[in-house]
Amino acid sequence: MSSRVCRTCGGADIDVDQARGSAVCTGCGSVLEDNIIVSEVQFVEGSGGVSSAVGQFVSADGPVKAPLLGSGFHTSVGKESRAQTLQGGKRQIQHLGSQLQLNQHCLDTAFNFFKMVVSKHLTRGRKTEHVIAACLYLVCRTEGTPHMLLDLSDLLQVNVYILGKTFLLLARELCINAPAIDPCLYIPRFAHMLEFGVKTHEVSMTALRLVQRMKRDWMHTGRRPSGLCGAALLVAARMHKFRRTVKDVISVVKVCQTTLRKRLTEFEDTPTSQLTIDEFMKVDLEQECDPPSFTAAQHKVKMQQLEHELARKLDEVEGEISCYKDEIETELEKSRPKLRGIYAAYAKEIDPEGVEVASSLSEPEAAPEGEEDELRAAADHLTQNFLCQVIQEEEGRGQKMGEGLEMEGAGPEREEAGLDMEGAGPEREEAGLDMEGARPEREEAGLDMEGARPEREEAGLDMEGAGPQRQAVPLADILGNLASLQQTFQTFSETGEKPDDEQSESGELDLMGIDDHEIEKYILNEREVEVKTELWMKQNEEYLKEQKEKEDRIQKEKEQGTYKEKPKKKKKKVPVAALTAGEAIERMLEKKKISSKINYDVLRDLNSRGTGSGGGSSPSRSNAEVDPPTAAAAAKRLNRRRRRKNSDANRDLAANASIMGKRVRLLLSSTSKKKKTALQAENPVTVAAAEVTSYPSPPPAGAVVEAEEEEEEEEVVVEEECVSALQLVGDYGCEEEEVF
Amino acid sequence: MDSSNDEALDIIITNVVATFRTRCHLNLRTIALEGTNVIYKPEVGKVLMKLRKPKITASIWSSGKIICTGATSEDDAKLGARRLARLLQKLGFKVRFSAFKVVNVLAVCSMPFAIHLIDFTKNNRPIASYEPELHPAATYRIKHIKATIQVFSTGSITVTGPNVQNVATAVEQVYPLLFECQKPRYK
Repeated sequence: MSSRVCRTCGGADIDVDQARGSAVCTGCGSVLEDNIIVSEVQFVEGSGGVSSAVGQFVSADGPVKAPLLGSGFHTSVGKESRAQTLQGGKRQIQHLGSQLQLNQHCLDTAFNFFKMVVSKHLTRGRKTEHVIAACLYLVCRTEGTPHMLLDLSDLLQVNVYILGKTFLLLARELCINAPAIDPCLYIPRFAHMLEFGVKTHEVSMTALRLVQRMKRDWMHTGRRPSGLCGAALLVAARMHKFRRTVKDVISVVKVCQTTLRKRLTEFEDTPTSQLTIDEFMKVDLEQECDPPSFTAAQHKVKMQQLEHELARKLDEVEGEISCYKDEIETELEKSRPKLRGIYAAYAKEIDPEGVEVASSLSEPEAAPEGEEDELRAAADHLTQNFLCQVIQEEEGRGQKMGEGLEMEGAGPEREEAGLDMEGAGPEREEAGLDMEGARPEREEAGLDMEGARPEREEAGLDMEGAGPQRQAVPLADILGNLASLQQTFQTFSETGEKPDDEQSESGELDLMGIDDHEIEKYILNEREVEVKTELWMKQNEEYLKEQKEKEDRIQKEKEQGTYKEKPKKKKKKVPVAALTAGEAIERMLEKKKISSKINYDVLRDLNSRGTGSGGGSSPSRSNAEVDPPTAAAAAKRLNRRRRRKNSDANRDLAANASIMGKRVRLLLSSTSKKKKTALQAENPVTVAAAEVTSYPSPPPAGAVVEAEEEEEEEEVVVEEECVSALQLVGDYGCEEEEVF
Repeated sequence: MDSSNDEALDIIITNVVATFRTRCHLNLRTIALEGTNVIYKPEVGKVLMKLRKPKITASIWSSGKIICTGATSEDDAKLGARRLARLLQKLGFKVRFSAFKVVNVLAVCSMPFAIHLIDFTKNNRPIASYEPELHPAATYRIKHIKATIQVFSTGSITVTGPNVQNVATAVEQVYPLLFECQKPRYK
C-alpha cells in the first residue's frame, strides 16, 4: 500500500529495488520499505563445487499450512511421513523396475501412479510391496511392455492372485483403463528366450501368424495369453526345423504341460491345422471357428439329446422286439442244431432260466422308467456294440462300426438290421436280441462269435457270451436290485416334508412344516453319545492337551503373581489438532464416541454456536422458561468459577457428557423448542453443576439468560475449553458424575 | 423372472446363504457330541452341521450366530434354518429364531450364444473388468443393485446378489449388453 503513494511527499513514483529489497520514493528520497521479501532463487555452493538452489519442496497435496517446526510439531510430523512414504516408494519402484528392465519413463509414470494411490489413501492396510508391484504392472499394461504379472510375482515371491487383486483394485480406483492383453506382445520375448539364433525373427513372425489365427478361431478368450504363445511358438519352431521340446517351452512360458497339450489339441481341431506349412504362410482361411469350450458344451448337449432320442425310440421298439423275440424263440427251438458237449448240460438248465429271465425282464419293462431306461439304453449300447462287431465280421458291413456316437442314432436301425438277419441264420437273430438273455445257441453261432466273446465279457452287463448262466443271473440280479432301489427311492421321497413356511415372529420358532421325528433322527441316543465322546476325545487329544497346559500355566502364573494379562492393544491417540476449541471437541467426539446415548449432532451444534461457554444444558433450555435472571446469573457465576479450574472443567465435560446421556430424550424432544431462542443448542458440555442437583427450572432459565451473556465470556471460556478438550482427550475415563 | 427377450432364459439358483441368530449361547461341544453329521473345529471355534432334507450346511458359533449355506431357494434356506433351530432346541438350548436374513444368492444362467469378452469389456469400462491372466471370466459389477456378474466366453454367466429379485434384475440388465457382443456362430 505504501509503495503507491509516498507518505512524506505524496508522490506516486516509487522505485522498488529487488536486489536490495527496498522501496524508495523518487520524489523525496524517503525509504518507504526496507527488507522487502523477495521471491528470488538463491544458490548455494555445495561440496565439490556443485551449486544447488536453496529451498524446500512443499508438496501440493500436503497440509495447507506451512510446516512450523517446533510449535506445531504434530503437523509437520504428518507431512514428513508423507514425504517419507513417497521417498520409500520411489526407491522401491526404482529397485523393482530395474530388475524388470523398465526404462526411466516407465518408472516415472509408475511413481506418479504411486503418488495418486497414496493421496487416495489406498495404501492403507496393504503391503507397500504389493502396491508398488501393482503400480509397475499398471505401467507395463498401459505402455504395452511384454511383462506379465507372473514375472512380478516371481520377483516378489508373492501369490499372483494377490497381486492381481491389488492391481484390479488400483485400476478401478484410479479409473485407469488398462488395455487388454494381447498375446502377440509376448511372442518376441519368449522367442528370444528360446534361443533360435539367427532365425529368431522368422520364427517370431510365424508364431505371430499362428497366434492371430488362433484369435480368429476364438481360442484366446478366457485363456492365459502365455499358454497360447507357448503353443504357437512350439509349432513355429517345429515348422522351422528347430527341435524344441514341450519342456523347453513350458519352462520359458510358465504354463504347465497339460495346458500346452490342450492348446495344441484345440488348434488341431481347427481347419487351419490341416494346411501344410507353405499353404499356411500364404493362405488365410476365411472360415472362423467357434471357441473350443463352446464346441465341447455343444458336443455334450448333442450327446444328451441323442440319448433322449434313443430312450424314446427304445420304448417304441420294445414292443416290436418282444413279439419278434417270441417268434424267434420258436424258430430257434425248431432249428436248434446239435449242441456242443459242454454246453449240452447247460442248455437244459438255462432254457427255463432264460425264459424266466425274459419274463422277469418283461416286468421291469413295464415298470416305471428312470434308471431303467438308462440301464436299458446302456445295455442297448453294448448290444449294439457287439452287434456292430458281429455284423462287420460276418457281413462286412463296416459303416456302423466303431462310432460310438452314431451308434445311438443308428441304434434302432441296427436293431432292425439285426432282426433282418434273422433270415440269415438263427445265430444272428440271437445276437440281435441278446439283451433278453443268454442263449446257448449263440455259442453254436460260430467261431466268430467266440472271437467277439472277450469284448462281450468286458461289456458291463455281460449278457451275451460264454457262460450264459453267469450272464443271465447278473442281469436278473441287476434288474431285481433296480426294482428294490426304486422302492426305496419312493419311500424316501415320501418321508419328505412339504415346505410350508410362514413368517415366524422374531424369537418364536415357527414349527410349521418341521417334522419332529425326522429331526430326532439327527440326535444321537445316549449310548451313541458315549461312543462319540470317546472317539472325539481321542481324536482331539492334542488340542485338549494344549488347552489344559495353557490353563495350568495361567494358573501357576496367577499364584506366583506374575500373571500378565494379554496386553490389550491400545489405539494410539493422535492428539487432536484444531483451530478452535469447538473444532477440537468436534474432532474428538468424532473419533471417540464416548457414549452411545449422546446426540452428537446436538453437541456439534452447540459448539458451533457459543464457543463452549457456560450456561445451561440444552435439555434444561428445552424447558426454558424465563426465570429470574438472578438465579441464572448466580448459576452462571457459579459455573464460571467452576470452570476456572481446569480439572473441574474436565469433569464438567465428562459429567456433562454423562448427564447428556441421560437427558437424551429430553434433548430430542427439545429440538423444536430450541429453535425458539436465538442461541440454539447451548453447550451441554458446559452444563452447570447446579443442574445436576436441581434439574429443571432454575438452571434452565439461567441457561437462557446465560446464553445471551455468553458472548461476552467467549474469549475467557475459549481458552479453558481448549485446554479442557485436550485434557479430556488425555484423561478420558472419568465419566463418573461429580456433583458439585 | 425370465429374460426380456423372446426365449426365456433359465436362471438356475445354485446357492443361497442365510444367517440367523439363536439369541442364546450354544455349547459347541454338546452339539458336536450329540448330533449326527457334525464336524467340530475347536481351533476355529465353530461346528459344521449338515442337514439332509433341504440339503444345507450350517456353521454354528458359540455366540449363537449361524450361517446356512447350500440351499437352492430362499424358502428352502428358511426351512432349513428353522429345522436347525428346532434341532438345537431339542438338544436342550433355549433357542429363539431371530434375525433371519438371506445374505447371498448365487445363480447361473446360460446364454444361447457365445460372448466376445474383450469387446464386452471395452464397451463397458470401468464397470466390467477382464484379466485373462487371473480368471477366465469378465467381471461386471452393478453397483446400485449390488450384484456381481461373471461372464464366460461360452455364454454362461454366474450372478451373485443379495436376493433372488436382484439377481433376476441383474440378468435382465446385462442381457442386452451381452447380446451386443455375441460371437457370430459358424459351423
